[in-house]
Amino acid sequence: MINPIHIMNQLFEMQAKINESGVAQNFERNFNRLFSLFEEEGYIIQDPTGEAYAETRTDCEASISGRIGSKMKITRTIKPIIYQKKDGGSVQLLQKGVVIAENN
Amino acid sequence: MMKPVNFGIDLGTTNSLIAKYDGNKVVVFKNPVGQKETLASVVAYRPDRILVGDKAREYLTKDPVNVFGNFKRKMGTDEKYYVVNIDDNVTPIQLSALVVKELKNFIHSGEVPEACVITIPASFDTMQSNATLKAGQEAGFKHIFLLQEPIAASLAFFNEVAGDSKKDGYWLVYDFGGGTFDAALVHSTEQELKVVDHEGNNFLGGADFDFAIIEKIIVPEIVRQTGIENFEQELRVKYGKYEKLYYEIMYYAEEAKKELSYSSSVVIEFNAELDNKKYEFSIPVTREKINEIFLPIINETIKLLKNVMENNRLTPKDINQVVLVGGSTFIPQVREQLALQTGISLNYSTDPTTSIAAGAAYYAANKYYESSPIEEAPEEIGGEILSTVEFTEPELKIETSYNKSSRDKEEVLLLFCQGAYENKFFRIIRSDGGFDTGYIPLKAKKTEFLSLVPAVSNLFNFYVYDTNYEEIKSFARQLSIMHGQYMVDGQPLPHDISIEVDDIENKTTRLEAIFERNSLLPQKRTLYREISKTIKKGSKDSVIINILEGDKNARPASNLTIGCITITGKDLKTDLVKGSDIEIQLHITDSRVLNTSVFLVMTQQEFKNVFSISEKQISLERLRDQYNDMETELTETIRQFQYNDDDIWEIKANALLEDLHSVKEKLFKLKTGDKSDEKYVIAEKIMRVSQAADKLGGNERISMLVEQYFELKERVLEAINSADFEKEEMRKKLQKIEQSEDSFIRSKNVSFIENKQKQLDELHWDALCNTTSFLISRYVLWRELPAEAFKDYSAARSLMKMADVSLEKENYPEFRKQVFSLTHLLVSMNVNANKDFKGTGIG
Repeated sequence: MINPIHIMNQLFEMQAKINESGVAQNFERNFNRLFSLFEEEGYIIQDPTGEAYAETRTDCEASISGRIGSKMKITRTIKPIIYQKKDGGSVQLLQKGVVIAENN
Repeated sequence: MMKPVNFGIDLGTTNSLIAKYDGNKVVVFKNPVGQKETLASVVAYRPDRILVGDKAREYLTKDPVNVFGNFKRKMGTDEKYYVVNIDDNVTPIQLSALVVKELKNFIHSGEVPEACVITIPASFDTMQSNATLKAGQEAGFKHIFLLQEPIAASLAFFNEVAGDSKKDGYWLVYDFGGGTFDAALVHSTEQELKVVDHEGNNFLGGADFDFAIIEKIIVPEIVRQTGIENFEQELRVKYGKYEKLYYEIMYYAEEAKKELSYSSSVVIEFNAELDNKKYEFSIPVTREKINEIFLPIINETIKLLKNVMENNRLTPKDINQVVLVGGSTFIPQVREQLALQTGISLNYSTDPTTSIAAGAAYYAANKYYESSPIEEAPEEIGGEILSTVEFTEPELKIETSYNKSSRDKEEVLLLFCQGAYENKFFRIIRSDGGFDTGYIPLKAKKTEFLSLVPAVSNLFNFYVYDTNYEEIKSFARQLSIMHGQYMVDGQPLPHDISIEVDDIENKTTRLEAIFERNSLLPQKRTLYREISKTIKKGSKDSVIINILEGDKNARPASNLTIGCITITGKDLKTDLVKGSDIEIQLHITDSRVLNTSVFLVMTQQEFKNVFSISEKQISLERLRDQYNDMETELTETIRQFQYNDDDIWEIKANALLEDLHSVKEKLFKLKTGDKSDEKYVIAEKIMRVSQAADKLGGNERISMLVEQYFELKERVLEAINSADFEKEEMRKKLQKIEQSEDSFIRSKNVSFIENKQKQLDELHWDALCNTTSFLISRYVLWRELPAEAFKDYSAARSLMKMADVSLEKENYPEFRKQVFSLTHLLVSMNVNANKDFKGTGIG
């Protein structure tokens, strides 16, 4: 059985590469579809790029670039955060995001 | 009462672990925050809180005056660390105690151990050993036993590996971790295990391999492509211009190292902007290449290992095996060089990352202590929208206030303390592991922002600690914040909004919820489905996207149609083939305007529509189908009431049927494009009849249906248990039905319960078809059928011949396939073909 996390990570990486190539629009529908298939299976995939970073965020493994400060932001996401929904409406963290955070 | 200690702790220089001997096996506990078995041995004193573990490590190089790692090396010395943020000194013992306390939080069973075994390096002297004991005591353990790490590794190996012929004699323990290397010579006899000698290097570890990949492979390639001359020097500059890239390539180097442990080559790929120019790097790395660059590091460890042997005048043939410990021993080249250069057989049968903790737990299983009574577990707070709760102890009162639901990414928690709160701490951990405040000092008034996962129920565990970071159990509580629902100032949906899809097997349609009741507006969702019938270009056949409002568990006719898009063959560019994909995007705005976009993947056509919920949209074709369904269902219900001699309900059902019939003539006379209000009047009538039909029979009918459901479930379970094929798949299907049990029983909705019964019926049939004895009995019956019972008798005869052979040879999997094929040739299997069923065209 293939670990679905590996597939989600590959998809995330492919999407990031395509976004940089300037032809992202052509593939947007396909990526939405692929990610929604995982969402139907109860996975929540989050790209925290642009979100505030604080030491309380144990959903990410961060490398801090530059000096630390009170208003840090996630500027690069190498691996997304992945949760899985459980019975009763709660979730379980399956994969921490791997990110780079910088002071604003 | 004397109890076994059972808990073992590997208090490492870089990482620590906790394990427990549980009956007959060792369980290594995982961190509830992030689910990792290892905890970074790092403590960070941030301006307003204390962090322990991986999060603290992130700040290690950035804030060295407040963040401390590697303090194990300073145990037993009088060295103190001055912490700028708290303007005080901390000792290595205090820091170690915090790590041990954090490990105690890994114990998910709720047990509060009073005793444990803590491992120490073979090189630790009495002062260092006593310091470790003290750290254990400060962490709240009343009884502590110390164990040398090489002994722990050997114990794990001896306990977990079968065969004891070579247990006596000398063993080498090769412990190559993330940041340190240790080699130890262990002597074993039947009575004891003893560390004879050891060597080590505190600055040699797995991270050196990552640096080697960066230095020898990645950096030269970047320089080759970019021509930046002093790139390597610049890359290493703290706060330099390439710092962000440095962290990124550190990650890729570590990933490449891991992947090359089982692949022969990898490609490191990344994009970077260097000196305002964009580059795409794709760097192939072979195992051969990394073997070459890893060799000097590995040689250094082997030299230390050989020193241990030479110092004790031992040759390789005097050593039973080298036991491998530490994550770096996963690297194939480490194993190959060790075997090649020492000539001693290697043993890596135990998990090198956890073996020291596991060994400590095995040792703990045979150590006993006098236990004290157990404390009670925390309780949950129930509550209203804004929860304000007081937790009171004689000397301390804590009041928390927070919203129980939120639409924001984070929610504020207010904390008011009275009494003896000085030098006490609180900590909040989200139960999924994605949020942890660390230890925060209690104050008279304190606010803390709790980060929320969208659209789920977020559970937070709230803890209070005394001055020694020892938990005060009576204050432990669980706080729950629902994200995205029941917001006081948002507009929630009053009913479920669903789409009507085909249920081909039952020749009807059913609802599939898109937005559930009480979801907050705006909402957006894309549904991906398949076309359930072929629609020829230019034909009058159609796909109907019918969007309804009401109870998602009821039949479509009981809901109100709020939007409808009909795509006919005339709208198509090419034929739309059954099974092709349809994407339906629905967006409902704050003001309840429904935007719908339908994309047919096969024809690459998009259809957009905007509906205001004040305007009803109705498809005449669907309305007629709904009428027919309702009529059939009511007729069947009346028949059941007659069968049960239930006169009162029979009269009521007949009245409903009459009511329905009153619109029949008008409905079937109406023409598409009719501008009158007639179709809305009819739709309203059908909806009311349908809603009333769900209430027929009252609670007695509901109870009967629920009872039938449970009886049927029992039968399905028995059938699955006696099945010979696909048991697991069928069990999963049953679990899926069971998951919604609560909601459909509470719904008291007849059609919903009947629908679940239908699903169970199908599963029951599946189970029978996967049972050899049942298949044989069916086959024996079919064999006797006349030729006209089959669509193609000669094909059926030849299948029967093959099935006879399979049966004789007891080849049941083959027999099953043949019986299935035979089923398709039976004329009777076509009786219920859905030729009259039009449906929506959405599967």
